[in-house]
Parts: sequence; C-alpha cells; structure tokens
Amino acid sequence: MKKVIGSISLIVILLLSTILSGCSNKSDAASSNGKVVVDFWTFWGSETRRPVIEKIVDEFNKSQDNILVKHTFIPWGDIWTKNLAAVAAGNPADIVINDINSVSQRAENNQAEDLSKYIDQDTFKEQFYSNLWETVLYKDKPYAVPFTTDTRLLFYNKDAFKEAGLDPNKPPATWKELEEYAEKLDVKQDDKYTRIGFYPLFGGFGAPSWLKNADNGTGYLENGELTINTPNKVKALEWLVEWQKRYGKKTIQNYQAEFSNGQTNPFIGGKVAMFTDVATFYTQIRDSGTKMNFGVTTMPTFDENSKPWSDGGGFVAEIPKGAKHPKEAMEFIKYLTGEKAQKFWAEKNYDNVANIKAAESVLNGLTGDAKTVYQNAVDSMQYTTLSPVPNQYPDYQERINPLVESAIDGKITAEEALIEAEKDVAKMKK
Amino acid sequence: MTADQAKTRLPSISLSPKKTRAVAPSVSSVRKRNLIGYIFILPWLIGFVGLIAGPLLFSLFASFTDYNITSKMNFIGLENYKRMFTLDDMFWTALWNTLYYVIFSVPLTTAGAIMIAVLLNQQVKGMKVFRTIYYLPSILSGVAVYFLWMQLLSPSTGLVNQFLHIFGIEGPSWLFDPNWTKPALILMKMWSVGGGMLLYLGRMQGISPSLYEAADLDGASGFRKFFHITLPMITPIIFFDIITSTIGSFQIFQEAYVMTQNGQGGPGNSLLFYNLHMWNNAFKSFDMGYASAMAWFLFIIIMALTFTNLKVGKKWVYYDGGDDK
Amino acid sequence: MIRAAVRRANQNKRLNVKKSMVFLILFLGSIMLLTPLWWMLSTSLKSPQEIMQYPPSFFPKGFHLSNYIEAWKTGDFTRWSLNTLLIAVVTTIGNVFVNAFIAYGFAKVRFKGRNALFVLVLSTMLIPGFVTMVPQYVLFSKLGWVNTYLPLIVPAFLGSAFNIFLIRQFMMTIPNEIIEAAIMDGASYFRIWWLIAMPLVKPALITVAIFSFTGAWNDLLGPLLYLSDEKLYTLQLGLQTFKGSVQTQWNYLMAMSVMVMIPTILIFYLFQRHFIKGSNISAGMKG
Repeated sequence: MKKVIGSISLIVILLLSTILSGCSNKSDAASSNGKVVVDFWTFWGSETRRPVIEKIVDEFNKSQDNILVKHTFIPWGDIWTKNLAAVAAGNPADIVINDINSVSQRAENNQAEDLSKYIDQDTFKEQFYSNLWETVLYKDKPYAVPFTTDTRLLFYNKDAFKEAGLDPNKPPATWKELEEYAEKLDVKQDDKYTRIGFYPLFGGFGAPSWLKNADNGTGYLENGELTINTPNKVKALEWLVEWQKRYGKKTIQNYQAEFSNGQTNPFIGGKVAMFTDVATFYTQIRDSGTKMNFGVTTMPTFDENSKPWSDGGGFVAEIPKGAKHPKEAMEFIKYLTGEKAQKFWAEKNYDNVANIKAAESVLNGLTGDAKTVYQNAVDSMQYTTLSPVPNQYPDYQERINPLVESAIDGKITAEEALIEAEKDVAKMKK
Repeated sequence: MTADQAKTRLPSISLSPKKTRAVAPSVSSVRKRNLIGYIFILPWLIGFVGLIAGPLLFSLFASFTDYNITSKMNFIGLENYKRMFTLDDMFWTALWNTLYYVIFSVPLTTAGAIMIAVLLNQQVKGMKVFRTIYYLPSILSGVAVYFLWMQLLSPSTGLVNQFLHIFGIEGPSWLFDPNWTKPALILMKMWSVGGGMLLYLGRMQGISPSLYEAADLDGASGFRKFFHITLPMITPIIFFDIITSTIGSFQIFQEAYVMTQNGQGGPGNSLLFYNLHMWNNAFKSFDMGYASAMAWFLFIIIMALTFTNLKVGKKWVYYDGGDDK
Repeated sequence: MIRAAVRRANQNKRLNVKKSMVFLILFLGSIMLLTPLWWMLSTSLKSPQEIMQYPPSFFPKGFHLSNYIEAWKTGDFTRWSLNTLLIAVVTTIGNVFVNAFIAYGFAKVRFKGRNALFVLVLSTMLIPGFVTMVPQYVLFSKLGWVNTYLPLIVPAFLGSAFNIFLIRQFMMTIPNEIIEAAIMDGASYFRIWWLIAMPLVKPALITVAIFSFTGAWNDLLGPLLYLSDEKLYTLQLGLQTFKGSVQTQWNYLMAMSVMVMIPTILIFYLFQRHFIKGSNISAGMKG
C-alpha cells in the first residue's frame, strides 16, 4: 500500500515537472530575441532528407533579423490529418508541406490562405513550370507554391536488352514497340515466367495514367467535364486487358503480391525488364548494390503521331488557414521555392524541383546516369499533366478504379467499365 | 475436501443474494447507497460530461449537415442518410466486407483464445516463457507488422505458402486475389489472439482449484472438467470478449488502410471496410457530415447487436458472485 | 491401499503423457507464432542492399548489429524513450485504479440508474473515433492542452469503457456474501473496495495494466495529434522518421521496432508472476 502511494506521488511530481518544463519551452519560443517564430511542418525526417531541409532553414534564419523558422517533423501521411485538425481548432502551423493535386480542394474547403496578397503573381509565377502553377490556382488565385514535382519515366534493363538481341540504346518509343520488345524479353521456364518483359500496371504508371497517355494527356476530367468514356480511353483499357490475358491473371497477381511489401523491387531484382517509375527511382537502383546496367526514356506514345504524355504529382508549400504569421511565412516560402534552395534540394535528393532555373542549372552539374535520368525527367515535364482532385467529384478515383479493375480482370468489357464509371461518378456530383 | 467444495459451490449456485437479504433496506440506506454508487462512478461521469459527450453529440448533429471540418456546416436534414442508402454503392460493398470479417473473425478468435488459454493454464515446464511467446504478437503494432505480413503472405517466397507447400497445397496470392484478401486478414488476426487469451487466463487462474480436485475425485475426464467447470466459470469473460471484439471487428481499419494501395481498399474493393470508406470520405473528400452519418448508422447496428447480447447474455452468463441484476 | 497406489501411479502416468502432449502442442504453436517475428529480427540485421534482394534471404548474410546503434542515433531516441515511459506509467496507474473504482460501482453497488448508465458506458465504445477526433482536438485546444501531455494522460484518470467493462466482469464473480459480511462488520464501501475487491480481481488489474501500458507505449494517433514539439515526441513518432514518402529505411525501422518491443515484453514477463500470486490469494480467500 505504502509502496503504491509512494510511487504514485513520485509519478505526480514527475508529471508536474514535465508540464512545467513544457510551459517554459513555450516561453523560450516566444522570447527568441523578439523574433517572429514561423512554425514549419514537413514529413522529411529521414537521415537523407532532414539534414537538407534543416540546412535550408538555417541558411534562411541566418539571413533574417526578425524571422525565425522552426522546423518540425510530422510523420508522412498523418501530417495532413494533423494539419486538418489544427486548422479546425484555429492553431495551425505557419507553413505545411502538402500534396499538389489537392490544393484547390483545400482552397475550396477553406483550409489554406490565399497567397495573392503577398506576391505579384505575374512575375512570381514565371519561376515555375506552368502546369504546376496552374494546379495551385483556385479561382485564379494561388493557394500554395510548388516545391517539388515528379514525372513518370520508363526504365529498362540494358543487359536484358542485349541478351534478347535488342539494341540497348534504342528503347521502345510506342505502345506497339513496347509489345514487341516485351515479347522478346520474356523468359519462360516450364510454363512459368521467370522474367516478364513488361507489364504496364507494375510500377508508378497506373491505369489512369495509361488512359491519359492514350488520350492526348487528358485525364478523367477536362475543364470540369467528365472525360472518362472516350474512344481512346476505351482502346487503352482494352490494351491493358490484353496484357493481363497474355501473362495470365495468376502470374500477374503473384508478381504483384510478391513485390508489394515495399522492400524488394521486381525491376531491380531482374524479374521485369522494363518498368515505369519516377526519376528518384534512380537512387534506389544506385543504392541496391546490384550494379545494374539500366537505361531510361520518356513514356512510349500511343501511336506514331502522339506525344509521350506522362503523369505527375508533387508537393507544395502552403499556409494553413488561420496561421498566426502568414506574412513572415511567405518570406520563407519565397526563399524555399527560390533558385538557390531549390537547386540545393535537387542536388541532394534528385527530386524534380518546381523552379525552372534551379532544375536546369542542376542538370549542368550532373554526370553519368544521374544526368541521363535528370535530362529525361526535364524533357518529360512539358508532356506531364497533373491530376488535380476535382471539387465536384473528390472521390472520383475510388469510384473509377474498381470498375477499371473489373475490366482488366475480364469480368466486364472495357467499354462497359468506362460507361458505368462515368455514370457512377456523375451520380455522386456535389 | 467435500466440505470445502460445498462452501464454494453452495452460496453461488443455490442462493441468490436477493434471498439472503432478509430485511428490506431502509429508505435512508437506499439513499446512501445511491450516493455511494455515484461517488464510485464519478470519475467516469466527469469524463463523459467533460470530454466525451460533447464531441459525440457534435458528430450526431454533424450527420445532418454538410460539415466539411473547416468552414461549412449547413443543416441538410436526412440528405446524407439518403445518399448513403440510395446512391453510394460503395457503402454497401463496405458494409458487406465488414460483416464478412466480423462473422468469421469474432467466433474464430474467441474459440482460439479460449483454447490457447486452456493450454497455457496447465502446469508444464517453461510455462512463463510460453505465455510470453503467445502474448507477444499482440504487443506488436504499427506499420512494421503489416509489412511483415505482406512478406509472409507473398505467394512464392512467403512462409505461409511455403508451409502449405509441404502438404502439397498451392497457396493463393492472398492480398492480391479478391477472394483471399479477407481470409488473409482473419489469419493475421488469429496470429495476435494473445490479448484475448490473457483475459481468459486471468479468469481461469481465479477458479478455485478445489472445484477441479473434487471433479478429479469423481474421476471426471479433462473434457468433462472443461465443459462443466472451466466453461461456465469463464462465461463472464466470453461475454465481454464477444461484445468487445464484435465492436472492434466492425471498426477494422488500419490493416486495410496500410496494406492496400493508397488506402483505397484493395483489389476489387475486397478490403474496403466500413471505417475505411468512412475515413476516405472524412479526410480525403472532407465530407465529415457524410462520414458522421455513416458512423451513427454503424452505431445503430452495433448497438442492436450489443443489446441482443446483453439480453441473451442473461441466459448463459454465469456470475458466481450471484446475479444481482 | 495397494489398489489406490496403483490407481495413483496410473494417474501419474496419464498425467505425464498429457503434460508432454501439452508441451508439444505449445512448442509447435510457439514456432508458428515466432517465425513471423524472425523476419523482423532478420531484416533488422540486414544491410539495405540485402533487404532489396530477391528472393529475400531467410538468414541475414552479414550481421549488421550496427543498424541498431545507427538507428538510435538518427534521432533523439533517448529522450523519446523517457517521454514514452512517463506517459505509459502514468496512464497505466490511472487506468488500473480509476477503472477499478468505477467498475466496482457498476458491479457491486446497487444504485438508481445503474443499468442505464452502464449501457451508456458501453455505447461510448460504438462510435468510430474518426468522427469525434476533430471536435475532441478542438476541445483540448480550447483548454490550452495542445502540445502538452495532458490530452494523453488526463483521459486515463476519467475511466475507459473497455477497462470498466472488463474489471466489472471480474468483480461480478466476487461472492456477494463476502461483501455483505464485511458490511455487517461495519466496513465502509471504500474499504471493501480496496481491501476485499481489489485483491480478488488482481488478475484483471494486471491484465488492464498490461493492456494500458502496451496501449500507451504503442499509441501513435494521440501523440501525433497533440504533440508538435519534437522534444515532447514519443517512440512511435520517432519510428515514423524511417518511413518516408518514397523510400523506407527497413533495416532501421525493424531494428527500432525490435527495441521498442522489448520493454513491453519485459513488463508482461514481470507482471505475469503477480498474475499467479493473485490467483492464490483469491483461491485462498474462497477456500
């Protein structure tokens, strides 16, 4: 009994002291030499990313007399749930890194500050790729500033190409070539594939991306109109169904399951000869220790006349609605998305940065594989479209995907799937 | 020994407390008992009024609005409920998936936990270590575990299928075959059945050894002892376990969220569970009003089940303290 | 006499066979339960290159024990461990004693409105936390508790439906005569709770202690929402640093997951001793 009471009182004392120290922490922040503290939330906590962002923050802080940026790591994915709760409670951070495709969705729901009053849009926007800038606009006003972006490329195994009698410097340029090459690259043993030449739905280019690639870069929506059931998209989906038929459902399921845990990769493991992914996939190949001889190219085109349309995403710096120091926050965002910081970020992480000058100047400093990959990524940018979440149909993907899957599984035809998907999405319009 | 047996059995079975209370309690003592009862539950009352009731009522109200968390909250009547029942096909998919999971996982985990607890209640060498091992999987949490299972369930290099291969069975693609995704999750749940086991073990430890000794003298078999002593004595815990694991299984979320691509509910929507659909509505589409409506519909379903359980429970749950309800 | 001895010998033989069977079953079961964990351990010892290899290797080729040290050094894990420990210990104490107190009221004191209130307790478990999460956050924020441990700790002292229900179930099995006899002797309700009921439900209290400690130790959502200062972070938040948008550092993640798991195993191993002791008291009181 006495022991229990003794330990309880000990704990209470401990608890009180923690709370008190918590309070003193707060006063620390407030009295940081009279500087305005700007809270900056990111999900960059790893040993490769954290030092880079903290260096950028440090450099900025050194150059400032009355702003102090304080960087806090919040876990990936959960950061946005936390941000949402904080906005609802009226005590958000001053800057948060967020997803680019949902900027206008957040703007519409009043979760982010309108930045137009802090910048001169016409000159400011010149710094960034125009497709990125368009994505951060809501009713013609910017609600975020693009930070990084990405675009899908086709990686291929040069050794496998040689083995199959293909020219390792001439990657497939069209869908048709993709099929021909894949056939040559397949390796079969007793009815089982030990290497798959290519399967479009492995890697980072999903069914929506292929449908977009076939349809002149038009996604499921164009200017607010649903463009799900179009002739080219039906053709593309039929093409995807053919691939599944060719390798067999079981083979594909097994492959997907085998490589779903995020540790092993079928391309690096030599089980797939051509693979789609973003440019930073290069660092995974480099760090895998396999010394793989790989090539990279922009996306194959639907036919000889179409362009290598690719799909992109990325991250933005945003000021949550209700932030205490939006003006000071904007000062840092300008620095963060400026040429110097962007160049530093790109050099360290091989991310595609949003700032055009930075992206181009990084390219000049690179050599070898890194240069090839980065060059292709920059080339791909002009044919990269993003997939902003439409405000009338926020959950459109969740409704289309299962139907597209059914078509690929052969349960319904491609046309049926897209007709049904368009109906389904339209029905849930807000 | 027989006297001892009589002592432990008699009061609990043949005498109900109502009968032992010969004199009717006075008014003042009833008042005092009421007061004391409320003093005992006071901490809960404070917590309920201060922290829980507000958000609960708020979400109930939100279910009749177009609440988007950050800016709007207009009353729209039964619009959310209407949309849920008549327009949203995914709602029905999610409900079906969840029911499937509940129907299989609750009985399987309950039976599994009891079986393991019985085994761990024996006196065998190294029992402490065994108990720790059996409890261990339920300690583990977090994303690491789910990725661990994705590896274990890999069709050709995963241990589960390699194990099945020993018996000449070709295992399925588990998480990528819509027919096998839910069984895969039930298998995972079975692995971490240790938490429930602990409850049963705790109760079994409290059963007086004299009951078993008396049965031994009568030459009762192990099965007989289990069905006539152990099982009746653990019914309060079975009751607890069934109710709480039904609630828990209806709210399955994390597994599907982490283990399916983009948290969308897996191949052919086969892992789109109720809470996952709700989460996507609340935090991806910011349609918290709709999500709240879903939550309160789920509330009604589970409430109905729990009430049935409480009613039926009176018939089969045996409290050896005397049922004073 | 002789027949009795023979019978006892046969019984012992049967008992030994039975014991070996139980041992064998438990042993095989243990292997099945532990193999998944082996993957965790083996991944934690591999180099990043080996983790990426296909097919994955069952035994790590090189023993990279350094993963453990390097992972620990990537963040302020010492501070985060102490923070987590503080939260876990305080919430465990709250959960055990407060819930036992409340549960006694629901199990053994007849008062007006008891059954209705108990149904209300249960019903609070039925609403998915997502929909009350934001209003609750706003509430704590209004109280000025955000970025302190109060939102994580205070609720543990105000009862949790699951634990109240659990302890209540155990308290229901306490014979009423014991309590009535004590009342006759003039003991107050609170003395009876502390001196009679609490020792009798010790296995339940231990179970609640183990659950609460593990729960607080592994909690991610609470600390994630309420803590915004890395100095106040917990281990689960620290673990998230290895999980990025593009890549995950599996070797570090698994190494730290193993380390984070160890204290909870220790707690269980230590507490289960009391588990058995508790039963002896209760059996003794009953016999």
